Amino acid sequence: MSYDNVIELKELHRHYTMGEDTVKALDGVDLEIKRGEYVSIVGPSGSGKTTLFNLIGGLDKPSNGSVFIDGVDIAQLDAYELAWLRCRKIGYIFQSFNLIQVLTALENVALPTVFAGVARDEGLKKAEYLLESVGLGTRIHHRPTELSAGQQQRVAIARALANDPAIILADEPTGNLDLNTGMEIIDLLHGLNKTRGLTLVAATHDLKMIKASDRIVWMRDGQIEKIERG
Amino acid sequence: MTREEIGQVHFSLGDAARLSYDHIKRRLGRAAINVASIALGLSFYTTLVLSDTFYGTYEGLGGAQLSVESYQYWLVMVALVVSVVGITNAMLIAVYERYREIGTMKCLGALDRHIILLFMMESGFQGLAGGILGFTLGLMAAVVSTGFSTGFDIVFKVPAARMLTLFGESVLLALTLSMVATIYPAWRASKLRPVEALRYEL
Repeated sequence: MSYDNVIELKELHRHYTMGEDTVKALDGVDLEIKRGEYVSIVGPSGSGKTTLFNLIGGLDKPSNGSVFIDGVDIAQLDAYELAWLRCRKIGYIFQSFNLIQVLTALENVALPTVFAGVARDEGLKKAEYLLESVGLGTRIHHRPTELSAGQQQRVAIARALANDPAIILADEPTGNLDLNTGMEIIDLLHGLNKTRGLTLVAATHDLKMIKASDRIVWMRDGQIEKIERG
Repeated sequence: MTREEIGQVHFSLGDAARLSYDHIKRRLGRAAINVASIALGLSFYTTLVLSDTFYGTYEGLGGAQLSVESYQYWLVMVALVVSVVGITNAMLIAVYERYREIGTMKCLGALDRHIILLFMMESGFQGLAGGILGFTLGLMAAVVSTGFSTGFDIVFKVPAARMLTLFGESVLLALTLSMVATIYPAWRASKLRPVEALRYEL
């Protein structure tokens, strides 16, 4: 059974204790994101964007409230189930790419398929296809250090797609890229969102990314300030 | 999706071995330090054990009674402890260097035990290499140090089975020491929370 809302946040709180102070990184966030939607999360630094991103991605647990991914409350999941969710349902893209330096582009993209239990040959074949589809067909045997920043981010995007996830989470994906390269990455992500029907959630400062999205969620002081249509 | 549809993540011994091999190959310098550390400690140990064996064989063949001083075994203990501490230190540095990488692996589906397996596999390879190298060095040192009193051909007079057992024991010892030294660093790495690992800037 598949749910209309692929992500549902209910009364989400995340508090950190720093010495005697309690920092409310998230202070009651409600949000529903539909399948195939492209949502930008915008706000000044410290507004709770990254915390929200981490909670949706199952990288952190809420202090209060719940996160539903495809209808499952992830607070109920144990470490094994959470790992499976990260592996199969969610693809991550980071500002600093986070490729494994000792592996080639091809091996980096194939790595998630290892955790998914796909046979090695099949995983490599899929990785090759994905690298071709992000325009890196000729550089599959290069290591991250032999690729430009834009190319590294393309590898990271291909890696995020390796297990056909329902959701792509991107944390400032254009933050380390120049204007033109950033634009190419935005077009690539937008294209994937439209052609594959992927749900794309991006935390960003980039105006061009914001313009391309279906909805824009403005965050301030751990709360949603306003939601705009793109 | 329902909770029942959630499956399992996979990471076989073969997968771990392949990834550890890639790490060692690309960071050969650090691996070489670990291998050298274990090889030196172990060569000291094999020198004594082999010298003792050579003296015993010599005596069995009608030669004079010679032996290794027992205090030397205490020195070997110290050398082995030092090499274990050295490996622990080097592996801890390797963990810090790979903070982001560990965080990324966890995002891709790695479990705590997969991270432990990866580091243990790496130290296993290094222990194996250090063991073989250490035994070879120890054998040469033992032949040189006992040769003048027992004759340099003594090594061929020791039964092959006995030599093979000594070789096996030495490599096993190196493997064990290297892996024991990595338990703490590997555990630390596995307990890293992906959020913290990804936030870490080096």
